Amino acid sequence: MLTGSKTTFKVRQMVPDIKERMLSHSGVHARGREMFGLCCLPGECVLQRAVLVRKKLSAREGGGWLSGTLFCTHFRVAFVPQDSPKPDDNADPVLLGDHDVALASIEKVVAVGPSRTKLVTPNSSLKFTPEELVLYCRDLRVLCFLFDRLTPDTQAIEITYTIAKTYQPLKPGTLFSFQNAALGSIEMKQFLSNRRRDPNMNWFECPADWEQELERTGATGWRVSSVNDRFEMSTSLSRFNVVPQKVLDTELKKTFAHFNEGRIPRWCWRHPRGSDLLRMASFQNNIYHEKDDIRNLELVLFGGQQVCVVVDLGEEMPSPADIQLAHTRLRALCLGDISASVTVPDDKWLSTLEGTHWLDYTRCCLRKAAEVACLLRGGHLTVALQEPEDRDMNCVVSSLVQVMCDPHSRTVAGFQSLVQKEWVMAGHRFLSRINYHRDSDKEEAPVFLLFLDCVWQLWDQYPGRFQLTGDYLLALHDSVHIPLFSSFLANCQRERCRRSQHLPQSYTPINGLREMLPRGASDDPTDPPFPPVWDWALQYSSQRQARFTQPVSQPICSQPLLNGNLNTNLDPNQYGDGVPGSVFLLSRGTFSSPSNLLPWRSAGSSASYRKSHRRAPSSESLPGLERLIKACSLTEPPQNTNTAFHDPHEPLLPLLLGPCVRVWKDCYLRGALHAQAFSHPMSSITQHPVEQLACEVQQLREKLAQVSIVRPANAAKRQESHRPEANLNQNANNETFLFASSRAAQQHHASNRATAHPSALTKTPHPTPATSRSSNRDNNKHTFLFGHQSEGRHVPTRNAKLPKNN
Amino acid sequence: MLSLGSGGPKPAKPSFVSYVTPGEINSEKDSSKKVEHLDLLPGEVVFCSATPVLRYTQDDLSQRGVFGTLLCTNFRVSFISDESPQEEVAQHFKNRLYGENDIPLSCVDQIYGVYDEKKKLITGGQVKNKYPSKIIFHCRDLRVFQFCLTYAKEEDGRRIFQGVVRHCLEPKSLKCVFAFSYSVPAKPVLQENQRTVMFESLEDWHQEMRRTKGDCKPIRDNEAFEISHRLPKYFIVPAAVETEDLSKCEGKGIPIWCWSHHSGCALFKMASVPLGQEDTMSQSHMERMLHAVAQNYLYSVKTEDLTETLPTLQDIQQSYNKFKQFFLIDNTMDFWLSDVKWFSSLENSGWLDMIRQCLRKAMEVVECLEKENTNVLIMEEGGSDLCCVVSSLVQIMLDPYFRTMVGFQSLVQKEWVSGCHQFLDRSNHLHQKEKECQSPVFLLFLECVWQLVQQHSPAFQFSETYLTVLSDSIHVPIFSTFLFNSAHHKASVLQAESPRSQNEVLTCPPVWDWSVQFDCKAQDFFINPLYAEKNKPDKTQRKTHKPKHQRQLSLPSSAFKTPPKKGFFKEETESLKKMLRMRRVSRWLVSPDSPQASTREFYESWQRKPLDYHGVLLPCLDGPAMRVWMQRYLRWIPELQIFGGGAIAVTNRLAELQGEVVQLRRELDRQGRRENKPDNHRPLALSRSSVRLSSSFPFASNRNWSFKPVIPNSRLHSIDVTDNLANQEDEATEAFTVV
Repeated sequence: MLTGSKTTFKVRQMVPDIKERMLSHSGVHARGREMFGLCCLPGECVLQRAVLVRKKLSAREGGGWLSGTLFCTHFRVAFVPQDSPKPDDNADPVLLGDHDVALASIEKVVAVGPSRTKLVTPNSSLKFTPEELVLYCRDLRVLCFLFDRLTPDTQAIEITYTIAKTYQPLKPGTLFSFQNAALGSIEMKQFLSNRRRDPNMNWFECPADWEQELERTGATGWRVSSVNDRFEMSTSLSRFNVVPQKVLDTELKKTFAHFNEGRIPRWCWRHPRGSDLLRMASFQNNIYHEKDDIRNLELVLFGGQQVCVVVDLGEEMPSPADIQLAHTRLRALCLGDISASVTVPDDKWLSTLEGTHWLDYTRCCLRKAAEVACLLRGGHLTVALQEPEDRDMNCVVSSLVQVMCDPHSRTVAGFQSLVQKEWVMAGHRFLSRINYHRDSDKEEAPVFLLFLDCVWQLWDQYPGRFQLTGDYLLALHDSVHIPLFSSFLANCQRERCRRSQHLPQSYTPINGLREMLPRGASDDPTDPPFPPVWDWALQYSSQRQARFTQPVSQPICSQPLLNGNLNTNLDPNQYGDGVPGSVFLLSRGTFSSPSNLLPWRSAGSSASYRKSHRRAPSSESLPGLERLIKACSLTEPPQNTNTAFHDPHEPLLPLLLGPCVRVWKDCYLRGALHAQAFSHPMSSITQHPVEQLACEVQQLREKLAQVSIVRPANAAKRQESHRPEANLNQNANNETFLFASSRAAQQHHASNRATAHPSALTKTPHPTPATSRSSNRDNNKHTFLFGHQSEGRHVPTRNAKLPKNN
Repeated sequence: MLSLGSGGPKPAKPSFVSYVTPGEINSEKDSSKKVEHLDLLPGEVVFCSATPVLRYTQDDLSQRGVFGTLLCTNFRVSFISDESPQEEVAQHFKNRLYGENDIPLSCVDQIYGVYDEKKKLITGGQVKNKYPSKIIFHCRDLRVFQFCLTYAKEEDGRRIFQGVVRHCLEPKSLKCVFAFSYSVPAKPVLQENQRTVMFESLEDWHQEMRRTKGDCKPIRDNEAFEISHRLPKYFIVPAAVETEDLSKCEGKGIPIWCWSHHSGCALFKMASVPLGQEDTMSQSHMERMLHAVAQNYLYSVKTEDLTETLPTLQDIQQSYNKFKQFFLIDNTMDFWLSDVKWFSSLENSGWLDMIRQCLRKAMEVVECLEKENTNVLIMEEGGSDLCCVVSSLVQIMLDPYFRTMVGFQSLVQKEWVSGCHQFLDRSNHLHQKEKECQSPVFLLFLECVWQLVQQHSPAFQFSETYLTVLSDSIHVPIFSTFLFNSAHHKASVLQAESPRSQNEVLTCPPVWDWSVQFDCKAQDFFINPLYAEKNKPDKTQRKTHKPKHQRQLSLPSSAFKTPPKKGFFKEETESLKKMLRMRRVSRWLVSPDSPQASTREFYESWQRKPLDYHGVLLPCLDGPAMRVWMQRYLRWIPELQIFGGGAIAVTNRLAELQGEVVQLRRELDRQGRRENKPDNHRPLALSRSSVRLSSSFPFASNRNWSFKPVIPNSRLHSIDVTDNLANQEDEATEAFTVV
């Protein structure tokens, strides 16, 4: 029966027991096994499949159709194109292929019949044979599968049912079936536990990590405290926190009670001009302050600086509920759901977009971050971000500030470290906010997605100054919706540690040997080892991973010296004073110093404390601080543009006016199938012109090198000119990513014109350290600490005819 | 002293200075010493000047500015700063005709005077003796200038104010336009293969017909404009049109060939004939014409009356007026204020929707030509406004030739200049009082093209900058392209204006001679570095792309199977007559639900195919796809410039890489290898400079760099959305009342 459009199929109610309905189980092989052409993960089983299915490709994928087989396993909906290359048996399994979607990220299943569309729920019955299956995903993708006339009708119906029944947890609060069945399997556990960790990024899991960060930013006067090692002081804080050196652990313990949830002011980052960024929860007001406490409190808050500005994020920023509402509206607008008949007419699109307020919220976050960034630029003050809970907006703003000011955090490794530091370790409630279990609807709010949108806005405005790309942000955005990653599956480090207690604290492979002991193999199967989200090889093919960074190789250009002593006007001896001074509140763009800002100062008994000191400067420095923010905005144009080299620490200040803030169309609008045309179709086959050109340059260079191999060499010139190129891949701290390579190229040309000898080049010793992966950390340290000694840092003086934008 | 209005006394000797009374000329003499900085163009005369005048920087709140001299010449209003002009490196993109502080007279859109802190719109007729303390210019290229006159001598101030108002706002005659006093030596003709086809000779038309393989009849009967003044000298009609039909309706009702599809069907446009109920004469004429069009290919034709389905000229004008106000800001405060409701006010102006409608209409025509292979006849009352928009858009979408620079210029020549678009009336160069004719139709067309460029940039050889410059050039009163209402108008004016030596006819350069405005380096910005050039020649590509058409295989009778819901003229005269009687001539969009759905379907089926930049190109018309032409509208607003960012950063990088490729290739060649690859990448000029570019490059210059409040501070916060997050619904109204 080929045209079974009028037949009504009575389908028996499926028993929710998966085992019974499984078509196959991929058994015992550790690396998974092929099942009807699908490369299964270890422990994964195929529940249903449908043959002769066509998948609609988005414009990004090249447009058109792809025919193949559709599978539903209990982890994903997989699509295998007809003539896809055979997967390499020895390759590590990738969780999701290029055409797959995790069941957990599906939000809605819609079956399109000959004359009607129906939203398929686990309990609904289908009275027609679907011709088209549309999957609406939480990450705003829309996948569209078409059943051919030759697809057996039963297959089409069954797979629709199967997806509809398995994509949601049976009851709120239970884990997904795959996590129970597959991730819990021994093979998968072994496989996951054996994963290498990315050594390039900072995980902030041990004191050494924090120390490294302190060193990188050149922060002095701070130490890593392990007073919360067993989460006794604060359950939501991480084990290790950075506090002023002067406060002893015993003294520190007393301060926890003065802050909401014990989230005391902690150091996050130091601006190169010597200002520190702190974050904290709101004060507990009803606590009696002893004099000793007060000294410690002030020390913790001021951290050795004279001036402290408290930036209140509770009031002006959108609440999680606001963000959730805005996001819901935005989804409704962008998805253009066919099951909901209401569509926004094209000429009302803009005002509807305005009505979602999503862009207002991104603007709001970016503005706040820009203010803080300008403030930090002033140097020698402490900026403390304060939010009642210190777990949402503080994460957004503190990380945005660092993206704006710190070139390191615009690299992939740096950005991952940043998220690790400010979100994962700082205790952002990922689990509740993303609401994987669908049980805490009130808590649900895509705060992290808002942050990603903010970063995208920055990236969109300054594409040349990021090493990471929009593709990377998109990948991160999508993986938030897959409940597999330890980074997102807990609300704080304590929960995370509990879950993975059987894992070593920080596993470091020795010489690449996987000497993982099979211990813990008998662990509770409900407790599978979740991988961190940063293990991109688990999720994406290397092809897609290659698009996470700028296509052009980045040579080293003037390395920023993040030693915290840039342009310091104040005498560093002032640190020695140790007596904290005045405190201001930045709220709504103005400074004030309300007397009740610090509760211990306003309390009656201790009001006399340093009263005289407080009053005097507060009235004077107010306008001074305002000037600070303004001064930053009134950046003078470089007078002599030939030699002007912009300050690498000059923050990327985003433009926030209406026309400049845009919709992240690659993300939000990719689902709307009709809206895909205006992104250039960039499949893996057709490259972006920049990429193509970069490849061409690379090839030509190689050719040139081959050609010039016969020529005699001029060693002296070579050594200098080739050095930047030799470090192409060491890009951790570049301030400019897109534009830098041309300098290398030019120098290369110069060298080639001087008939260089490349074979000799490779042998020349480099002034900068070697770039092997394992030693990268040390490497960074070196470049930061001793970077100024390398002559390459003074590029501007060497060559007046440099290309612009540096 | 001053002669007001066009009816002023005219000196006996007719010359270009006739508009200037001797008094004015004298007044120019004593200020001449201050004028030395100004490089006058040949034929340019200074009318009056005042000094010192303070030009405010755009941030009004600071009241800062630069002192200098304000001049009014017969070409421009110019401000010369007293400060020594700082040597800017960023002057890649200097316009040779006018600098960044000059406003060509016809570029002035509106003038405001500030009397006692009150801003008043100055209109032509009512120049009082009292001159304002501050004068504000809104330019048509979206610049805003503010000058303070209080520092100048009272007499100077009054004179400059009155002079500016008179020359910028009051009606004048065409011969006072600067083009007629501007005299430059004739430029050597451009190379033949790079030449823009001007469509001024019969050969041009022949050539175009050969190129598109059209099979129509060239008409040369209008060489002396006997048939109509509203038609070009030469044009092409369907082969079946008889010569006697041409002169029937005063030049109206003649289907004029625009372009032939490779399948054989063609696009025609026509000035519609008013159809009275009992006007059998014109009815039968129409019938015959439709017949003639239908005979062009397989007896099928679809017609569309654009006056009924697209916005009127007044609508377009009103909508644009609303739209441009968002960008003509006197000070930065304005912008922050409008920012709160940016999207909804943008939507209310309706401008983006007009663009969408035009593009949609063009897409419908494309669908008919490409999918159904029927001839299409578009009609309009004058046949030279929206017809031009739609027909040019259709050709850009269908024919890759028109996406090259030369092709695009030829297209504008063909459809707009030869098509007798009333450039003069539409842009209101002469400041006529009755403004009904005024309407930015050509700008609307450029906007539509920009949307296409934006969505499919590799398909276009020219860049966004090219379009922006072209839109600016409309208001530079030098180019013959934009000065006349029709070919007849041009011929007669040029004839009348150059009597001095009979054998020499006054020539104005066409706008396509870009060297008049820009040097070679600057012209490089017109080229899109991402242009996907075609390797194969046009014809073979086309054949492989579309091997055979169904229609070509089928019998002619199959043409009648097209769905009847669309008004469709069949061969039978009976049905045609019936339709005509029912007065449903020519509407294919009768049912309201079908067009959009079918267009969408067409678009989606197009989308399913792999995108070929040298094939059919369709725009996406969805809400988020229509965008504001940032470069044109936002380039002068310093708050909206991203330094070291924006799209230019990527373009810049591309240009650098291309330069590198070229260099490396050259290097390879030099190394003695026999590889001689053709070098088809052209490095851009900007790749070698070292300026930190702003996102509105190449237009923004250093002058806008200072005073840039990146972060709105306290005062602005009070009006900002974040205030009222809690009560979201009525926040904006509240926000405004707060201010």
